[in-house]
Amino acid sequence: MNSTIYKKKGPLVFFLIPALLFMAVFLFYPFIMNIANSFQRITQLGSSAQGMNDPWYANYQKLFNDPIMGTALKNTMLLMLATIVFEVGFALILGLLVDNIKVGTQFFRTVYFFPIVISATALGLLFNLIFLYNGGMLNQMLVKFLGLSDYIDWKDSNHFLFTMLAPIMWQYVGFYFVIIVTGLNNISGEIYEAAAIDGAQGLKRTRYITLPLLRNVLSTCLILAITGALKVFDLPWIMFSTGIPLDESWLTGTYMYAQAFVFKDVDYSSTIAVVIVVLGVVISQIANRVFKEVDY
Amino acid sequence: MKKTLALALVVLMMFGVLAGCQPSTPAPSSPSPDAPPVQSDEPAPPPVDTNEPVELVVVTTYGGDDGNRQNYEAAYQAYEVATGNKVLDASDTSNEVFKAKVLTDFETGSEPDVLFYFSGVDSNPFVEAGKVVSIDEIRAEYPEYASNMKDSMLANSPADGKKYSVPVNGYWEGMFTNVKVLEAAGVAIPGADYTWDQFLADCQKIKDAGFTPVGVSLQEVPHYWFEFTIFNHGNVDNHLDMPENGTDAVAQKWAEGLADIKELYDLGYLPVNTLTATDGDTVQLVGDGEAAFLIDGSWKIGWFEQNCADHLEDFIVTYVPSKGGDRKASDVVSGLSSGYFITRKAWDDPAKRDAAVKFVMAMTTDDVVSAFGATSVTALKNGTTPPADASSLTLSALEMLKGTTGAVAAVQDNIPPEIRGVMFNDLKNVITGSKTAATLIDETLAAMNNQ
Repeated sequence: MNSTIYKKKGPLVFFLIPALLFMAVFLFYPFIMNIANSFQRITQLGSSAQGMNDPWYANYQKLFNDPIMGTALKNTMLLMLATIVFEVGFALILGLLVDNIKVGTQFFRTVYFFPIVISATALGLLFNLIFLYNGGMLNQMLVKFLGLSDYIDWKDSNHFLFTMLAPIMWQYVGFYFVIIVTGLNNISGEIYEAAAIDGAQGLKRTRYITLPLLRNVLSTCLILAITGALKVFDLPWIMFSTGIPLDESWLTGTYMYAQAFVFKDVDYSSTIAVVIVVLGVVISQIANRVFKEVDY
Repeated sequence: MKKTLALALVVLMMFGVLAGCQPSTPAPSSPSPDAPPVQSDEPAPPPVDTNEPVELVVVTTYGGDDGNRQNYEAAYQAYEVATGNKVLDASDTSNEVFKAKVLTDFETGSEPDVLFYFSGVDSNPFVEAGKVVSIDEIRAEYPEYASNMKDSMLANSPADGKKYSVPVNGYWEGMFTNVKVLEAAGVAIPGADYTWDQFLADCQKIKDAGFTPVGVSLQEVPHYWFEFTIFNHGNVDNHLDMPENGTDAVAQKWAEGLADIKELYDLGYLPVNTLTATDGDTVQLVGDGEAAFLIDGSWKIGWFEQNCADHLEDFIVTYVPSKGGDRKASDVVSGLSSGYFITRKAWDDPAKRDAAVKFVMAMTTDDVVSAFGATSVTALKNGTTPPADASSLTLSALEMLKGTTGAVAAVQDNIPPEIRGVMFNDLKNVITGSKTAATLIDETLAAMNNQ
């Protein structure tokens, strides 16, 4: 018996080919076609292009003059900001609290992680019922316990942002919580003992020991949260399809989908997809540089 | 040994990856998508009677939870027993994804043998490509084809004016009314002479009594109100006219119709959350006795029968109020918007031609059409026979249909679906006053001209 297979690189490359082929066929080729489609006229899903747009960059012109695209970009950036503050922020607070208790750590881990395993579609329907105007759980509770005289339309212009963001935050807090708790567990107990001898307790211990040692974990969480925010689609689509109210709740993902599958403007949808990819690459590069991991 | 194993694994993995690329339908026997359409006057090969069972690929909209799914299955299974042929049913729920799939199948030469599909502008791509056979061409060989239908009611293709599809049951649109709400508000049940002014007065009484007068989701389904309020400013003869610009006489008619919806919105007669609620939410309001009126189509009868079975007698179908113009309240919107198409692929296949023709004939007999919807508008020469156990709502709808004085198709069907979707999505901006009706009409027409 010998281990020639590991010494020669040829077979390893051969093993990589199927995955590369898969990526080429199902990712790179569609993406290149998507760029080409953004310059053509395609008026039906499933139909071929009817030639180039006139001018060929017409969709990009339209993009800059489209107020709804501006709304979608603004909302996506807001979602990104909310993700950083509330998802990672809450996850950090919950992680620090759970790290300081002796019993029940596993229980809280399971409870907080649970929303992640429920499909976003099911969650969307669930929150639709919670925020429902007539007979929704929240409105019924407000009327019964707070004595409100009228129901609140949780999806109107005054409330839609909260109604859209709260379920997304709620769903993903557990994901970052688990990562942060794992990071906290990796901090050596000896460091805390040494700090205690030096008189660092409570908030001081968190400020000067825990958070600096958690920096790399938090960086990973923030990069994941920022890039993840660009891809959020399913939950807002279930709850706020067609940009209700009055085209105010569009995200780049939902707007792209609606252009392709609802309004059948396939080429314009491709243009929005190009913007999403460019935005994703640029923002993830910035996030990678800003939250660069450091060696201690 | 390890080398051989590694090689075997790689080959296995590559087969695994490519396995999903296998076509799910048989290879097309029709020309490639790029080939020019086959001329209908070319001599077609005669059908072959081999007595061999034939497999027919059939796509319809009677899939999923369609109310007629069971009727459809019973009808095609009866055909299978009678002929020995096999139906490969690939029906699905009718939605935009379904429509896209049908068009893609035609583009790639994977179309079915028989298709039940929309006969309006949705069918233009495959009609223009010559991929379906006209009824005249079929009748040249099968004179009895669709002979139980009134020819005048068979849809003309918007693409070339020819008739291609054999309809089953069409639709009508009317006003579903919760009579319990009317009673509670002290409002009389509307009849065939219902006017807009009476309607507004009734809405105020209903609102004062603590109910929502009209159940409608303007953000999701403004279609019915769009249709009737425009119809109210015209008549049966000119309802299908399309505006040529944002200011001509037809556009004025449309603008006045949209202004009527805005009036209802401004007066608070629509649900508070009409701009954020779903159609399901607002229909439920009527079902639950919280709203009085709902304009909807014949397909909504099934919803009431299923969801309000224990108080079905609370609901009737009546006429949408008329306003000013020549339209009487008893003039309704109705039509036959779908039908069975036989594809050129099946027609040119000697083994399948006869089976496809017989299949469509079996699915459009008087009995089958009656089973699909007693209250439906049909093209049957003999009309439908209502079932003995028809519900009170079905009987109410039949009564309403009996009293109609005129019928016209929906003008919105003249607008290609992709442009229609954008227009309806923008309608809320006209209702809330952030866009004028003239601008919306101009934008819609510009989009149609750019097609």
